[in-house]
Amino acid sequence: MKLLRRTLLALFLLPLAAAAAAPVADMFNERLKSVVAIEFFIQAETERQPVTVLGTVIDEKGTVILPGAAILPGVAPGQLKDFKVYRPGSTESAPAVYLGQDAFTGWHFVRVDEKSRAGLVPVTHWAAAKTDPAMGEELWGIGLRNKDEDFQAYFMSSRVAVTMKLPQKTVILGSDVAGPGLPAFNAAGELAGIAQTSFGQNFLLFSRNQHGNPIVLVNVEESSVVLLTSEVLPYLGRIPQSVTGRPIAWFGAYGLQPMDPEVAKLLKLENQSGVVVSDIMKSSPADQAGLQERDIVLAIDGQPLPRLKPDRVVVSYFGQEILRHLPGDVVALSVLRGTARVEVKVKLGDEPKLVREADRRYFERLGFTAREFLYNDGIMHRASPGTTDGIMVHFVKPGGAVATAGLRPDDWVREIDGTPIKTYAQAMDLLAAIEADKNRAEFVLLVSHGGETQVLRVKLN
Amino acid sequence: VGALGLLLLTQAAGAAMSGGFNRLLEAVVRIDVREVEFADGAKRISGGIGSGVIISADGLVLTNAHVASPQAVEIQVTLANLECVSARLVGWDHWTDLALLRIDADEVKRRGLKFAHAEFGDSDALFPGETVYAVGTPYGLTRTVTRGIISNNNRYFEPDRSLNGYETGTFNTWLQTDAAINPGNSGGPLVDESGRVVGINARGYIVSDNLGFAIPASVAQRVIPGLVKAGGIVRSYAGIGFRELQDLERFYSLSANTGVLVGNVDVGSPAAKAGLRAGDVVLTLNGRKVDGRFPEQLPPIQQTIASLPVGSTIRLGVKRGDQVVELSAVTEKLESRVGEEWAFEKWGLTVRKVSRAYARENQLTDETGVVVLGVQPGYPAAEAGLARGDIITKVGNKTITELAQLKALYEAYEARPEPQLVEAQRSRRISLYVIKP
Repeated sequence: MKLLRRTLLALFLLPLAAAAAAPVADMFNERLKSVVAIEFFIQAETERQPVTVLGTVIDEKGTVILPGAAILPGVAPGQLKDFKVYRPGSTESAPAVYLGQDAFTGWHFVRVDEKSRAGLVPVTHWAAAKTDPAMGEELWGIGLRNKDEDFQAYFMSSRVAVTMKLPQKTVILGSDVAGPGLPAFNAAGELAGIAQTSFGQNFLLFSRNQHGNPIVLVNVEESSVVLLTSEVLPYLGRIPQSVTGRPIAWFGAYGLQPMDPEVAKLLKLENQSGVVVSDIMKSSPADQAGLQERDIVLAIDGQPLPRLKPDRVVVSYFGQEILRHLPGDVVALSVLRGTARVEVKVKLGDEPKLVREADRRYFERLGFTAREFLYNDGIMHRASPGTTDGIMVHFVKPGGAVATAGLRPDDWVREIDGTPIKTYAQAMDLLAAIEADKNRAEFVLLVSHGGETQVLRVKLN
Repeated sequence: VGALGLLLLTQAAGAAMSGGFNRLLEAVVRIDVREVEFADGAKRISGGIGSGVIISADGLVLTNAHVASPQAVEIQVTLANLECVSARLVGWDHWTDLALLRIDADEVKRRGLKFAHAEFGDSDALFPGETVYAVGTPYGLTRTVTRGIISNNNRYFEPDRSLNGYETGTFNTWLQTDAAINPGNSGGPLVDESGRVVGINARGYIVSDNLGFAIPASVAQRVIPGLVKAGGIVRSYAGIGFRELQDLERFYSLSANTGVLVGNVDVGSPAAKAGLRAGDVVLTLNGRKVDGRFPEQLPPIQQTIASLPVGSTIRLGVKRGDQVVELSAVTEKLESRVGEEWAFEKWGLTVRKVSRAYARENQLTDETGVVVLGVQPGYPAAEAGLARGDIITKVGNKTITELAQLKALYEAYEARPEPQLVEAQRSRRISLYVIKP
């Protein structure tokens, strides 16, 4: 009788479970159609660096998103070459194009060649989880092996350890749950979120010579950090309009620092959060709005800045609130200035040219890459705003002519052969002439580095 | 016969050292210094060993500035007869790395101690290959004599700005010797065969063999009177970093041995205010022709400026492109980048005043603030989040322009501990911190 009852119960339960979710292996195999491995290389002056990253398909047009960390910020779109897309378990690749980086989410967007889109399924095809995963809930995801193993897919699962606002809602699981950039699902196969670049974990390294040396390890192949669906789906439409990712809103303050909770208490701002403004760039939107150094921003557009942990997350929050807007939008800030509360309205501008957009040129014989002097370089060098004097050294070929003379990356070249540099074009003319003149034995650069100016003599041949 | 022969040989070798040399040995001392350090958020006493040489009958001892500094709280001198006697700092000049001590005369008299004093030789007459001896206390090994030759009598060192501590100037070239010089030899004399002091041993490359460096006696003789009289040397500062013109004459359309290149001009310095720029060529200094073709020629040019009274006007004939212009700058007092240091024990915080030179080097707007030298883990400053290198600019509503202000605030805190709001900059980012009891 006992046995019968148990059998009955089992029979009763089985169909229910089938209705709730297909066997996990089936779900896994279906959802594999939403993930790809992407291979490309970064063309530098003298070498090329191959990169492999993982991405999630987001629409019917074969658009794929990659985590922000997939490409370093200084790399120009023109240096990104030969995008190839691999399906899990496949040796065949399809060509793809790079669409750019979205400033707000940080995602890079890549689009698979039209002929090769068949069989790709947007991740939005799978139902989204209606609620945030609860603590202890099990999520599962997809990992991909390396290229030499044909990007073989494998199953991973783990339980939610904690939910945090960083500032986006993010869950951290007990162990790795998916490859960074790949989706994670709940037991019902609903999309729970997308795995981010993993966080560093503290370890102690013991070896014959070192006893408990602290080190930080980052798993680059798997991640235990998942950005929740509610923070992903609303922004999938932010496909960059241009490869530069523009338009990008510009605020114009540098060195924002979180207000320490102890400081808040002392300033009688208990349970409030804020960011301290360190440096306002002259004639920037923040400057024009009358924001001042040492102002503490407490609220944006009427919303008090939230208290987030760790403290510095509030700075990312503020940055994102700005980047959510477009150039020309007005944001209203509540500011503590000394002991007074001030309202400041800032009309956002257009982000000045970024390093990745800067004109640059490599001079093989001289052994360096010159790039145009940007607004942000002016800030670093405390030059008057908007100056275009000089050029920046972007790359120095080891052992090359200028390297031997002592030129270093990030040096600011002010004069070439005694001629003050007023524009990038002028510098290019001068350098091209030197490069082409096979009889030239030497030339002279006037260079600033960290506030110190030096004359460098460069010997050629 | 064999034993006799050996004895005779020994005597012959002993007789080879001159009377002067033996007198010199009687004048060399070991120096034990205990000094205050403000490194890790606390005031600590550390010990060091160096060498020195007695240069007068009344007990003046010449040594290195890096052996005995104003931070010293106790200086002990070990005489040739192995007797210890206390000494005090008389004068200090880190720009030439020289310091002068005086042996406690009362103690000498009371204990009836005896010592000899050394004579200076002519360091300008030294030639490469000449035999020299270094005497000192390498690794604490008292009274060690090593022998070598002058390897180079005109060694130029580039100004070194990477060190966190006190600067050594480029007002002179150095003597190089292969006589073994090790840590602890610092401050000891380099002498010729008759025992005359031709240099003060100061540096060696640690991982090399037989590359030692000494300050020429001529430099010491120039500095000593000022150290005796005023405890230090006042120099003029213009803010010009000179570079050799070698091989660049054609580029600047100059004939050889004409002018010196301006390699850099300190921001906000007298030379910068006068309009001098890096890349300029200085042809004349106060009407006299300047020749800086080789690096070895640069120290005398720096010394010419340094030896002028503070506030002197220097006239510079400057070639810039095709033009020759006359610029004039009014010199300031040469100051170290190292400001006064202090420890705030209960905060676990050590600081150093931002000096004018430090502010210039780090492109700070002015001399406001103190630099954090260190914080002690677990103490209020560290708990607040302050770290080495931060510049504390404000406490409460007081801007810190003088170290005395911070000391006063600290005293008030000691009397009545209350949370203090601290504003500090870290690579130009302003942050607020709270130091709590």
